[in-house]
Amino acid sequence: MIIVVSIIIGCIIGALIGFNTPIIPYTFSGYLAVAIIAALDSVFGALVGLEKKKFDMKIFVSGFFGNAILAIILTYLGERLNVDIYLAAIVVFVGRMFTNLSILRTNLIEKYSKKKANKSK
Amino acid sequence: MNKDKIIVAITLGIICAILVFVLTVQLRTVKETDITSIENMREYELKEQIEIWKNKYEETQAKVNEDNRKINEYKTTIANNQEANELLTNELNQTNTLLGKTNVKGEGIIINLNSDSSNIIAEDLIKLVNELKLAGAEAISINNKRIINITDIVDVNSYILINGERTNAPYEIKVIGNSQYLMSGINAKGGFSDLVKNNGKSISIAQERTVEINKFDGDIKLKKMKID
Repeated sequence: MIIVVSIIIGCIIGALIGFNTPIIPYTFSGYLAVAIIAALDSVFGALVGLEKKKFDMKIFVSGFFGNAILAIILTYLGERLNVDIYLAAIVVFVGRMFTNLSILRTNLIEKYSKKKANKSK
Repeated sequence: MNKDKIIVAITLGIICAILVFVLTVQLRTVKETDITSIENMREYELKEQIEIWKNKYEETQAKVNEDNRKINEYKTTIANNQEANELLTNELNQTNTLLGKTNVKGEGIIINLNSDSSNIIAEDLIKLVNELKLAGAEAISINNKRIINITDIVDVNSYILINGERTNAPYEIKVIGNSQYLMSGINAKGGFSDLVKNNGKSISIAQERTVEINKFDGDIKLKKMKID
């Protein structure tokens, strides 16, 4: 319960701070976008971990920041080499997001149908 | 157990805050930046823009050259017109001067004619004008009336009409021309001066450095005369 509450509080605080800070220069926003996607993928991975009861806090946090930093580095490298490397990062992260989401969905639906089957028994 | 949960909760909260914070900043940045302005473009977009602006510049440059050429053309035409204008104006002024329709000045003589024992008649003046013309007079005026080619000098009762206007003695005749020739012409033996003195009129002649003569005031009307 407290976890949900803290998550919600975290979101609200983040939103407040986010609305009040000045916007960043446009060139940085490119890096920030890829970092966000990497972080989102890490979040989905954590959700799946929760579902499988294999959730490890350390893996989640390290993955969160590690993915973001790696994404930023790759984007910067790509810009220097004049190769759009960030595209590959996006494809991979969003692909993993879809995979995780489908796992979650499958598990939830299985759980739900099992519950229904048990109830009717 | 609780402590663990609290740690987990706090960590999750912090991470959530960071995520949402970054998300909102990014959303706001994208919303408020003008992606089409040059300061925010990536390299390939800049290349495209450079191409576009280069073409625009060349087009405008060509147009400017064309317009400049036209302007120069117009300028030369105007200059030519002005030249033609000037020539015409000069010619007109000259013609007017020759006709006697302009004020003139130059060296010459001034003659004062008065009647002693007999009146001055038109014939005297006509003779004088003739003599002056023979002596090379370029402009003549009698009592400030300009004598031109169609000027008439006639007797009417007690006065003389010149250019249709009344005049009386004494007569001041201004002449522009070579003063030497004019003087010797009038003063010659048996010339106008002698003639006048013998007939009871008095005449005095003075050489002047500058004689000013006014223009012919009236209109020269052409009713029957046409250019051949």
